[in-house]
Amino acid sequence: MNGKHHEVDCSVILERVYVFIDDELETADCAEIQQHLDDCGPCLRAVDLERMVKALVARSCRESAPVQLRERVKLSIRHVQVEISEGRHLDLD
Amino acid sequence: MIATEASQRPALRDRSQRATLCGNIGSREWPLPLPVMTHPLEESVEERTARFERDALVYIDQLYSAAMRMTRNPQDAEDLVQETYAKAFAAFHQFKEGTNLKAWLYRILTNAFINTYRKKQRQPAQDPTEQIEDWQLARAETHSSSGLKSAEALALEHLPDSDVKQALQQIPEDFRLAVYLADVEGFAYKEIAEIMGSPVGTVMSRLHRGRGQLRVLLADYARERGLIRGAELESEVTP
Repeated sequence: MNGKHHEVDCSVILERVYVFIDDELETADCAEIQQHLDDCGPCLRAVDLERMVKALVARSCRESAPVQLRERVKLSIRHVQVEISEGRHLDLD
Repeated sequence: MIATEASQRPALRDRSQRATLCGNIGSREWPLPLPVMTHPLEESVEERTARFERDALVYIDQLYSAAMRMTRNPQDAEDLVQETYAKAFAAFHQFKEGTNLKAWLYRILTNAFINTYRKKQRQPAQDPTEQIEDWQLARAETHSSSGLKSAEALALEHLPDSDVKQALQQIPEDFRLAVYLADVEGFAYKEIAEIMGSPVGTVMSRLHRGRGQLRVLLADYARERGLIRGAELESEVTP
């Protein structure tokens, strides 16, 4: 490796940025990418940005179910339970 | 950014909890074609109810969040979650204990949304002109110099949750769901594929395009809020 030449080309890294941040790559491939990132600021910033967006979605989309929904769900489970007990066939559609 | 083709896909490791979700729930048809009785033979329906409530109800917040992303309004999300639990309980005797219950519930939620819910959706389908085309995405990509990426990441971090939800709502449904399942729930690609009833390559492509579109929208919001300055953007656009 010398100067700006990397063993793995930047385009390969950018193409794999999602499988990398989603932890879907084989360990060996991960190590290869990590090595490139240690050495290449632009790719590191690109990966960091994608990680940021991923974290942002995770942070922003969690909601609590309304209390009454929990009760509604329990009630509907009881309904199904009664239907099962009575041997009625359920229309799952 | 162009969708990753299956042919050039790198080797993926299997980080799903199970190779397959319990039984065959790959079909979108009901009733579920599963005669396997895996619950304890002596279990009464009352015991099964108790087991279901104990094991499945803990996911209600997560299912509700997903339903909100799907239906885009609280009333419909509640209806969808209720329907999901009713269907799941009715099919619970087919669920293999020890397999991935959360993914199984998500699969039922997704089926319920697609089969019975989407048809009667209250909100009109999104205006196609509001969707971001891939060529816009490609343009945004070439404009993103490395310096801008740092500025962008810093700016996005300050966006309120409401902006992120709104941006998600603007991307196409299949992209939205894939992104949600991966980023919020942390499902493996293989699990997302089973939940959505799509091949892994399709899931990867949806994630790729969905995230790309999302980033463009989020950058727009950040600019509107003055978190990224226009001048900053111009000066960063270098060949």
